[in-house]
Amino acid sequence: MLHTRLGLLLIAAFAATSAATAQPLRINGSTTVNPVVVDAAEFLRSEKKATIFVDTQGGSAGGIAALGEGRAEIAMISRELEPDDSKKFPNVHFLATRIGIDALALVVSKDVWNGGVRVLSRAQVQEIYEGKITNWNAVGGPDRRIVFFNKEPGRGTWESFAKWLYGDPKKAPDVSHPEVGANEEGRNKVASTPGAISQLSAAWADQKTVFGVAIRRGDGKVVSPTLASIADGSYPITRPLQVVTDGPPKGLAKEMVDLLLSPRGQALLEKHGYLKNPEKDPKGK
Amino acid sequence: MSRGEGVAGRGDRRAPDFLRLAAFGLSAFALASFVGLVAVFVQQAWPFVKAQGIAGLFGVHWSFRSERFGALPMIYGSLAVSAIALVLAAPIGWGAAVFLAEVLPRRSRIAAKVGVELLAGIPSVVYGLLGVLLLRDTAMRLLRPFDPISGDTLATGGLLLAIMILPTVVSLSDDALAAVPKSQRAAARALGLGKAETILRAVVPTALPGLASALLLGLGRALGETIAVFLVIGRQDNQWPERLWTLDPLARAGQSVTSKLGGSETAVAYGDPVHWGALLGLGLLLLAVVAGLSFAGSWLALRRAPRA
Repeated sequence: MLHTRLGLLLIAAFAATSAATAQPLRINGSTTVNPVVVDAAEFLRSEKKATIFVDTQGGSAGGIAALGEGRAEIAMISRELEPDDSKKFPNVHFLATRIGIDALALVVSKDVWNGGVRVLSRAQVQEIYEGKITNWNAVGGPDRRIVFFNKEPGRGTWESFAKWLYGDPKKAPDVSHPEVGANEEGRNKVASTPGAISQLSAAWADQKTVFGVAIRRGDGKVVSPTLASIADGSYPITRPLQVVTDGPPKGLAKEMVDLLLSPRGQALLEKHGYLKNPEKDPKGK
Repeated sequence: MSRGEGVAGRGDRRAPDFLRLAAFGLSAFALASFVGLVAVFVQQAWPFVKAQGIAGLFGVHWSFRSERFGALPMIYGSLAVSAIALVLAAPIGWGAAVFLAEVLPRRSRIAAKVGVELLAGIPSVVYGLLGVLLLRDTAMRLLRPFDPISGDTLATGGLLLAIMILPTVVSLSDDALAAVPKSQRAAARALGLGKAETILRAVVPTALPGLASALLLGLGRALGETIAVFLVIGRQDNQWPERLWTLDPLARAGQSVTSKLGGSETAVAYGDPVHWGALLGLGLLLLAVVAGLSFAGSWLALRRAPRA
């Protein structure tokens, strides 16, 4: 969009003068994908003397925007590509490569966990999210007010959550909760606030400071967000971890994508608590 | 006394031409950048103004999915946070400045001032992280009578801002006090006033415009501050208080203009001209307020020379 491009002209003019010579690889996006890519970037830096910047401004949507505007060569997203992404940047050919799988956990603070809240159904989560249930005692927990820390809009975690509850993030109702951004912030705030619940990447639910509750599925089965239940598909809220490029990746970006798909890169996903790409179907659905 | 005149140097010989030219060119560049920036902001905000009018910003409900962009709760958040910061920073900052300028011997004053100015240079994200680590739990405990849902409240943001602007306030207030001529103090002492009375009756009243300007310039920094406040304010939308002048809303989570602009909503808004325009409108609003405060602060600082 022309007029929005113009807006960055001032900043870009300054940035371009310094960046034109070096050709570094710039990566931006999801804080969930970030730890894996940061480790992979470290490999490339030491082995290929490559210059790589990895940033997490604005989560998944921030990554897409950076790629769309040409401020990054790779976007990290912790969700599927949405039609909206290409609608916003019609001149960019977004190509997503799945590097692994993560689940979305609903994490609660220690007092709630110890107070007996270990399982929530989708209906209960929805009522908590919409503010119809405001006390933990309505779902078998202690007599304590529920504090919902909502992930910011634009975060892959929030999009996956809204998709699970409402089928389409756009159908999610307006709610007003305190918001959290990066995974570190969400985990820290849930851990330090009595009665807290939030959406968080399952790999970050350490079961020491914050606790991922099990989900009671429609068929009555209770499933915890563990690697095994994510792998066999029984845990209901999973999402792909992806790197996105403008068309097929080239040069340093290609080396990064290839590295992430190689056994060495896939090992990084396991190291950080995510699920690597399933072997039978490496391209994903 | 006529301190004001000697400094301005109106009677100086004219500077060499190339110097004048260079100075003119650079000033013009600075001015042009500013005008260009505002122009870009206005141009980007235009789709929003066309769709909803400037009045669209002055509602109490912000929800970009239903295209409502009422910014009043954020303006309230910014003002509340700044007011708390001022109320806390004024007495402490001025008190510390009086101590620096009037009580400490010259050599220790310089040392202390260097320390204070170092504090002013600490990046705000460091303050923010310290705020998350130290202030949230304290705020939760202090605010218990108001029953906050978490340690992220407008009051926490205000407290953090007070700490952040304190070095600025102390340093500028100290300058204002030090600029009061020696003769004023001597005259007061000659009239038989004690040290404390000299400070309270002669020095502080003379320096008052400078002290006020220190506070306003500190506030200018506070209003534009993003990251630190972002981390402790709670970032909850639509917290328009039912009764505006009560204190309870301060113990709740809220949103300020800067915490909204610092969030990831800007990434969502990108490509949607109206939503993006609304956010740019917020930016313009902030720019106007901060510019106004800086003008007022500088104006007070300029006329702080004694009147007589």
